[in-house]
Amino acid sequence: MEISMYRNKWLGLLLGLFIALAPGIKAADLTSSQTAPAPSEPPKTNSEVLTTYKKMSLEELMNQDVTSVSKQPEPLREASAAIQVITGDEIRRSGASSIPEALRLADNLDVAQVNSHDWAISARGFNANLANKLLVLIDGRAVYTPLYGGVLWNMQDYLLEDIDRIEVISGPGGTLWGANAVNGVINITTKNAKDTQGLYLEAGGGTELQDFTGVRYGGMLTSNVYYRVYGKYFNLDDEILTDGKNASDASEKGQGGFRIDTEPSLPNVFTVQGDIYTGNEDIAAGDERIGGGNVLGRWTHAMSGGSDMSLQAYYDRTHLTYPYGAPLGTLTDDLSTYDLDFQHNFSLGQRNNIVWGLGYRFTQEVENNAHQVLFLPATLNHNLFSGFVQDEIKLFENLFFTLGSKLEHNDYTGFEVEPSARLQWNVTSKQMLWTAVSRAVRTPSRFDHDLNIPTFLPPPYQTFQSGNPDFESETVIAYELGYRAQLGSKISSSISTFYNDYDDLRSLSPGSAADFFLPHEFANGLKADTYGVEISADYQILHWWRLHGGYDWLKEDIYVKSGQTDMNNALDETADPQNQVFLRSSMDLPFNLALDLDSRWIDILHNDNNGVPGTVPSYFELGARLAWRATKNLEFSIVGQNLLQDQHPEYGFPGPTREEIQRSIYGKVAWRF
Amino acid sequence: MEILSSPNQNRPARETFNPLSNFRERRPARFFIFCLWLALFYLGLNEARSQNFSREYPLKAVFLFNFAQFTIWPANAFASPDSPIVIGILGDDPFGDVLEETVDNEQVNGRKFRVERYPHLEDIKNCQILFISHSETSHLDKIIKALKDKPILTVSGIENAANRGVCISFITENNKIRLRINTDSLKLANLTVSSKLLRVSEITPLPAP
Repeated sequence: MEISMYRNKWLGLLLGLFIALAPGIKAADLTSSQTAPAPSEPPKTNSEVLTTYKKMSLEELMNQDVTSVSKQPEPLREASAAIQVITGDEIRRSGASSIPEALRLADNLDVAQVNSHDWAISARGFNANLANKLLVLIDGRAVYTPLYGGVLWNMQDYLLEDIDRIEVISGPGGTLWGANAVNGVINITTKNAKDTQGLYLEAGGGTELQDFTGVRYGGMLTSNVYYRVYGKYFNLDDEILTDGKNASDASEKGQGGFRIDTEPSLPNVFTVQGDIYTGNEDIAAGDERIGGGNVLGRWTHAMSGGSDMSLQAYYDRTHLTYPYGAPLGTLTDDLSTYDLDFQHNFSLGQRNNIVWGLGYRFTQEVENNAHQVLFLPATLNHNLFSGFVQDEIKLFENLFFTLGSKLEHNDYTGFEVEPSARLQWNVTSKQMLWTAVSRAVRTPSRFDHDLNIPTFLPPPYQTFQSGNPDFESETVIAYELGYRAQLGSKISSSISTFYNDYDDLRSLSPGSAADFFLPHEFANGLKADTYGVEISADYQILHWWRLHGGYDWLKEDIYVKSGQTDMNNALDETADPQNQVFLRSSMDLPFNLALDLDSRWIDILHNDNNGVPGTVPSYFELGARLAWRATKNLEFSIVGQNLLQDQHPEYGFPGPTREEIQRSIYGKVAWRF
Repeated sequence: MEILSSPNQNRPARETFNPLSNFRERRPARFFIFCLWLALFYLGLNEARSQNFSREYPLKAVFLFNFAQFTIWPANAFASPDSPIVIGILGDDPFGDVLEETVDNEQVNGRKFRVERYPHLEDIKNCQILFISHSETSHLDKIIKALKDKPILTVSGIENAANRGVCISFITENNKIRLRINTDSLKLANLTVSSKLLRVSEITPLPAP
């Protein structure tokens, strides 16, 4: 698809409608002789409760309270980790219009909006400009870029209505998920096509989110095979600079996709899905362009005796065109990823529950280098082999011990091992205490390894800054202790604490004095200790009113190893608040009205500019959403974000040209047929 | 991303750095919002009293749907290979439209579902699962006797239903639902249920005649 097509938003809208409707109409004709597709019911009704119950096993059903003050039944969440789950319903009620905005609902994340389209997101610190310690998966597809090990959040999107849930795990997940799951894992799961039957349309606009529209149609292909197709488009207005000038960072993006699922209760379940997107974004130096697509297939086979296995394969392609200002130049990056994963889960005797898996990933990354920033070699083929095994051992009726490890081989550093041990004690049926020790690694990215910034001077002074071919993986050993409890019928809460011991973090060391300290080269010259507390609580005051509170405290001590030099004075790995406070309220009011409020206080951020410390001031902000369900199928809502201040910065080094985030208000209409 | 643009270049010069320029500006709005939160919280604490939702029948409806997946009926239980699985409700209907909502558009082994309501024992037609409502408590024995060798999975929440000969009884205890299965009644009805279902249930034999 030509990117310039989206220059015209109406063309984009029409295209989206066409993509979504054309196959839908055809299939609707074919299936009309069978059953009519189930209408998507308004959430939080009996039908949503039923949908939740129907996904549960018999054991889970028998654990449900017959009478409950909670509107939404909760499946048992017994994972012994600092996990928070954002449901699709919570996303809808928050008024979030993008995945990063939805991630603000997870108290255990540090989310900062950089400009209109870029975000900095991390868990347990290290939310630096090149944040690289978080693993993000969308339906099992890893979306961090091997270019620098971080996530290009402007590329990650979905029709939010069709997101089932987002699991946010803070803390290492290397044993199950592999490299890069150092400080956390974000698992975004979209709904099964069976649960998105019928037509859904949304449209609206406002001050920052200027125009947006989304459409989805779901139907039945044949008996027991369901599908959906969707399309969406949005454009974002410019933000503003500290000095009041226009930030010139407007953007627009279009995305479409499909998902096909067989009946989920059958012994063999197949899923095929794919997405395609394109967008362009104004940045200081010109026009940044992004685009990509992916296709994924998964086969899950349930065997007798409760064991199951799954086989998943995907292909993912991303494109980035990034212009530079003075001197002019353009970097393009084309990444192709081929990934194959196998997983098998079974019980051994009465006490052991074993899961093991194998994986292979091949990436080809091609740079068309700008002359002032190069990645050498320009084309890199990379192989990643991995295997893991984990055993959950039932020591006593209420005491579980989980031991496992991942073993990976990558072309940069060879073998990496990521073991973990966890202990879970179900103190009562409503209280759980857990503790874990884990090791995780952050394997080198192209940035660490292949970067080359020339000086345009003759040798031996030709290189200003370079990657390091001997760059080692960064490592962490994490110690965690957590407690989760259901206090009475109205309050649920969790507390997680951690102490992380990092080694071999990235530093920038100067060349020899004889060469005027050139080139500056990356090294593994830093160590760090971090510790912190994450608290969250839900309080269902009345059946129509729920409160949620969250608090994070984080302390980071990052220092240069003896015998090493860091030109950034160990400042370049962080831009993190020490304290974060969240408070949210969800109310169902009479006359089919729903009012949601969310507030956050984010502490001062300390960041870095060439070894010079800077700060982002602390801020307090408020969001609100008022929705009116006019009929069963039609909902109007008005959403305000960052309501308290005209503009405030959340990220970036202080100065007159720092980008600030403006108050945003938009209206939205949603139809469900 | 900013970082890709120019690592350690093109950033604002050091002299522009003034961390106190817009630091902690006092805003009355914040205080107002804080008070609002307090007020809301206080209201909530005061008003908080148990307003419980009953999940009994949504849960039981999903159990019935699950039973259909875990039960094998003899071929003669159905009129034809594509006839639906009929869930009957005998007596007063406590489900409302919850049962229909549960099984709408669902299929088990290629069979769709239909829900039927029978006011009295004589109204029962060909059904595969029969939920016996509390309204039938006084003539439960008569119902069991009339249905005992038909391929119908009888289910009831009436006290001691399984011990008296109903195939599966719902027992509500400690605010949870447990299942008790009468394996002799299943045998008489020529029904096979999956071990998955038996594993989570209590088993009881038929009472001595």
